Amino acid sequence: MNAQLLSTRPEVRRGSRGAANPFEGQHRRRLLRADLLTVLFWASLAGAVALWLADGGAAGFSTLAGAFTALGIVAGLAGMDLVLLMLLLAARIPLIDRTVGHDRALEFHRKLGKPALYLLLAHGILIAIGYGMAEGLDPVSESVALWVLVPDMWLAYISMLLFIAVVVTSLVAVRRRFPYEFWYAVHLLTYAAVLTALPHQFSVGGLFAEGTWQRWYWLALCIATGAALLYYRVVQPLAATFRHQLTVKRVVQVSPGVVSIEMSGLRLDLLAGSGGRFFIWRFLAPGLWWQPHPFSLSAEPLQFDAAGQGVLRITVRNLGRGSAQLASLKPGTKVAVEGPYGLFSTAARSRKHVVMVGAGIGITPIRALLESTPFQPGNATVILRGHSESELYLGAEILELCRQRGATLFHLTGSRPAGVRTWLPENSARAGHRLASFDPKIAEADVYVCGPAAWAQNVLEDARDAGVREEQLHYERFDW
Amino acid sequence: MRTRAAVSAALASAGILIAGWQSGIHVADTGSAVASAATDTTGTTGSTGSGGTSGSTGSSSSSGTSGSSGSSSAGGATGASAKAAATYDGAVVQTRFGSVQVQITVQAGKITDVTALQLTDAERKSVQISNRAAPLLRDEVLSAQSADVQTISGATVTSDAYLNSLQAALDAANL
Repeated sequence: MNAQLLSTRPEVRRGSRGAANPFEGQHRRRLLRADLLTVLFWASLAGAVALWLADGGAAGFSTLAGAFTALGIVAGLAGMDLVLLMLLLAARIPLIDRTVGHDRALEFHRKLGKPALYLLLAHGILIAIGYGMAEGLDPVSESVALWVLVPDMWLAYISMLLFIAVVVTSLVAVRRRFPYEFWYAVHLLTYAAVLTALPHQFSVGGLFAEGTWQRWYWLALCIATGAALLYYRVVQPLAATFRHQLTVKRVVQVSPGVVSIEMSGLRLDLLAGSGGRFFIWRFLAPGLWWQPHPFSLSAEPLQFDAAGQGVLRITVRNLGRGSAQLASLKPGTKVAVEGPYGLFSTAARSRKHVVMVGAGIGITPIRALLESTPFQPGNATVILRGHSESELYLGAEILELCRQRGATLFHLTGSRPAGVRTWLPENSARAGHRLASFDPKIAEADVYVCGPAAWAQNVLEDARDAGVREEQLHYERFDW
Repeated sequence: MRTRAAVSAALASAGILIAGWQSGIHVADTGSAVASAATDTTGTTGSTGSGGTSGSTGSSSSSGTSGSSGSSSAGGATGASAKAAATYDGAVVQTRFGSVQVQITVQAGKITDVTALQLTDAERKSVQISNRAAPLLRDEVLSAQSADVQTISGATVTSDAYLNSLQAALDAANL
């Protein structure tokens, strides 16, 4: 009795079958934005090189020493451009978030880390070789000479070391050995690395010399990046915190180790439709206020009156040291909030049919999405996965929502079979079930997946096998 | 859709790069033309980097030298009048981008002109920087009447050498 049909499938209205897909326009616009961002990304890199070419930089290739120096300059410019793009990707800019989602943006941010570092290292090495050759010095002596003799260069060396430290501590293998807070603190050094890199670009770098419009371009780029970071990561969160005035109303035990935290606040009408998206919460209690917690809403914001006074709810499991403390939050605790972020919402819909798959605590954003995302009765399937029935958190609420809205619900419980890559429990996998067994129309559906990374990958693979295209897959990582 | 993004990105990047390249050739031409505007060598080819380098260096230093020697000889010609002007050469300062030497013209205890006898010229880039920095430095020195002026950002090495050479010239002139 692990795969059980809990709702009788309401009759599909004949008229809705042939009806136009209401999400087509939104989907097309999102793909257009994504393509536009891709073009902007490459254009900015091309622009960095083109500005150098426009300055007559290619003339350096006439001598061997000049060629080394020229390549070094190009590497430095491209590296700088990548670093600025990485900062913009991490700035939580709404345009990027609405287009690719916060986690995709950060994934891309991580992918750029190593190329950026390699370009900056190449910049230093090639310039040392090029200058050294021009002066008849070996690269090491030249480096020392640059450090000692040229103003602002010592700062550039420090910047290089900082960049190396930041990238190395961010690599997955290394990151696991340190607590999150350590990684976070080192990551803040990025700002120091960028700031210490700037002086030598503007004082030593000939391209940025006074009176050139290249100087203005780069200056504008740096200032715009800084402003975006300041606005979206500091000003907006502060504004949201003051606007919504959230306070903990009560903490309810959902199951062993899992609590729902309800917060009351103002102007929650502005957050309508953000169920399933995540916020970064800071509970302003002693010992807790400095910990940022990324959690999704587990229900649509509840609104009591026209002024937007109402209640928000998140559902949390004791995953780490920080989450454990949340169970003992006192009512009345003030809450600082940043968000909403992510694309785990109706904004990502591309088809009228929808399949939602959640496992463990990943069920909670599915619960919120099920509540708000539009679908005709019979056009939605919900699959919940857990070790036991008690791990299907908020199961009763989800059952009720499925009944009301006409969604098909499956509970899949039990441990997975040993040695087989599957997202299903043992008996279901033995029976040869696939994702398509639960919803035959899956190839024409939006598939939302939320759960542990390895499990989710298996679901996504199964979906791709069933003919679901990449643009229909919506996956939120919640174990960072 | 991914192909649409890839194709447009490739086209946009190629367009930007070609535009940069084209205006780069243009800049190399006008750059040397500006540098040689003082002399009457018109139509510098600037086809290659080395050509551009030698062309603009030659023109900038030669025009500077000829200008200052003209004034100094004129001062000599008027003899011992109160308007007598004298020129003093500064020390030759070596930098990684080439040597720098300036000459000052002093009249009635005031610096009336500063000319660069040599400027950093190791690469075309340095020449460009020198050509940009030298007039700015000259103006600053003339208004400050000393070597105690700010260096030009983007040309710190050149500026330092320029001001060091200038100080030597000032010392020689007992100013």
